[in-house]
Amino acid sequence: MTNNWMRRQRLLGYLFIGPSMLGVLLFFLIPAAYSFGLMFTNYKFMSPNVEFVGLDNIIRLLKDEMFYLSLKNTFYFLLAVPVSIVLGFLAAVVLNQKIYLKKLLRGLYFMPYITSGVAVAFVWMLLFHPTQGPINGLLRSIGIDDPPGWLSTTTSSMVAIDIIWIWFMLGYNMIIYLAALQEVSPELLEAAKMDGARPGQILRKIIWPLVSPTTFLLLITGLIMTIKTFGIIQAVTQGGPGNSTTILSLYVYQNAFRYYDMGYASTISWALFILILLITLAQWVGQKRWVHY
Amino acid sequence: MELRKRLTSEAPKKLLVTLIMLLLAIVMIIPFLWMISTSLKTPAQVFEYPIRWIPANPTWEHHVKVWTGPKSFGTYYWNSLKIAVIGMAGATFLSAFAAYGFARIEFKGRNALFMLYLSMMMIPPQVLFVPKFLMFEWAGIYNTHLALILPGLFTIFGVFMLRQFFLSIPNEITESAFIDGAGHFRIFFRLILPLAKPALATLAIIDFSWQWNDYENALVFLIDEELYTVPLGLQNFILENTVDYNGMMAAASAGIMPMIAVFAIGQRYIIQGLTNSAVKG
Repeated sequence: MTNNWMRRQRLLGYLFIGPSMLGVLLFFLIPAAYSFGLMFTNYKFMSPNVEFVGLDNIIRLLKDEMFYLSLKNTFYFLLAVPVSIVLGFLAAVVLNQKIYLKKLLRGLYFMPYITSGVAVAFVWMLLFHPTQGPINGLLRSIGIDDPPGWLSTTTSSMVAIDIIWIWFMLGYNMIIYLAALQEVSPELLEAAKMDGARPGQILRKIIWPLVSPTTFLLLITGLIMTIKTFGIIQAVTQGGPGNSTTILSLYVYQNAFRYYDMGYASTISWALFILILLITLAQWVGQKRWVHY
Repeated sequence: MELRKRLTSEAPKKLLVTLIMLLLAIVMIIPFLWMISTSLKTPAQVFEYPIRWIPANPTWEHHVKVWTGPKSFGTYYWNSLKIAVIGMAGATFLSAFAAYGFARIEFKGRNALFMLYLSMMMIPPQVLFVPKFLMFEWAGIYNTHLALILPGLFTIFGVFMLRQFFLSIPNEITESAFIDGAGHFRIFFRLILPLAKPALATLAIIDFSWQWNDYENALVFLIDEELYTVPLGLQNFILENTVDYNGMMAAASAGIMPMIAVFAIGQRYIIQGLTNSAVKG
């Protein structure tokens, strides 16, 4: 009887999970295994001779200057994450006070996140136009005669991309902080005020430590999400000028679908995976050390 | 007396903070305002400085250009809508089905399977692009909408999110149905799904916005122009009209407007869903 019941439960479980499992198998598990295998071949798309090349691709990667450059660019890109977290935190703290139009304001700050995508990236491309764009127009009008070339020069292109990314992520971070701030007890803040703490002190010494689990979560998920992105960069700069915005995920795309070097592209993509794995491990370790509950 | 005192001391500060935040909020949405304003201007007016936010003689010709002719955005819209709607409906239903299995049925190997799901979230899409490209090529669905629709039916995030929601539904609600002899299918369709309507709506809206905005998959899996989705069509328009800034902004408006509409309607669900999955997940 119990044996029968257990078998029935198992069958039912598989029945419910089955359809979704099929998708995970076809579009995640099998491709991942396939990609892992490709890492050890010299497979180029449409080329008939495929050979097992052992660790050649990995050795090539470790000697590839473009790999290190794209890694460095990835880190510059990732700088947008902590900045957007701090700005999102400040916006949330202010919006959490007694103010008018709270819902409208929340919606406006959140709008960039929901309308994300290449459409907005193209708008930014024109806003950043070096000679005629409104951003440099504004800078010139306040007396900066030699404003940056933004997306058109190697020294400022990543800064421009970071600005777009901060603008995009800020609203999301704010929304999550707003939820976390609901858990901060008003009595505690009131007591601190009674004891003569200044607003800046309350912010840094009480609120910021209290929301540290949220900060940590936003940092980890933000970093992982940013590492996986290349769409906006492909849309506005294609990695240029002079590879100055070629990040790792874009470098994978270029090797795979510009040079059709599938074996090598797979190898780079696993380096990307290792980066994500390291961040995830940092999450496990760090949760115990840095976060005050 | 007390109330009046409070009003006079707090209202000015409240108003001031509101004004500052409103000003910053306007800075946040300036790209959208500039986009709409530019799409209604003439080429000569584009880079006028100082910016004239409401154009002197607004013209609709750029919007007309985007929506008519052989490369009308109508085609791109239809393609995007088809892919996003089928994907959204399929992904929401299949996620709910699997989430019920993970949350409400006890069977051997369940936790191991769930760990497998979670570990798949760590694999970046870049790892999967090459093998999927080769598999789709082999299966004959490369450069067809199926290459976007089929993978779009499955979302691990959705399973994860709905499982959390189903776990929060108290057991007592389903227990009495079990005693009356109802099976899992009946309980899922008659009890759980109706209760989960807000969570399902949230997932549907978020998934729709992902699929509508998806540029990377379309870039990898589609070649033919008549198959292009809105993000690809937009890119194409910009490559072919490199100096038509007004046209570009009219095209960008066409790409963004549906998302603004979806956001205006579903803001409550989106914010609730994202908050719940981040804070509880």
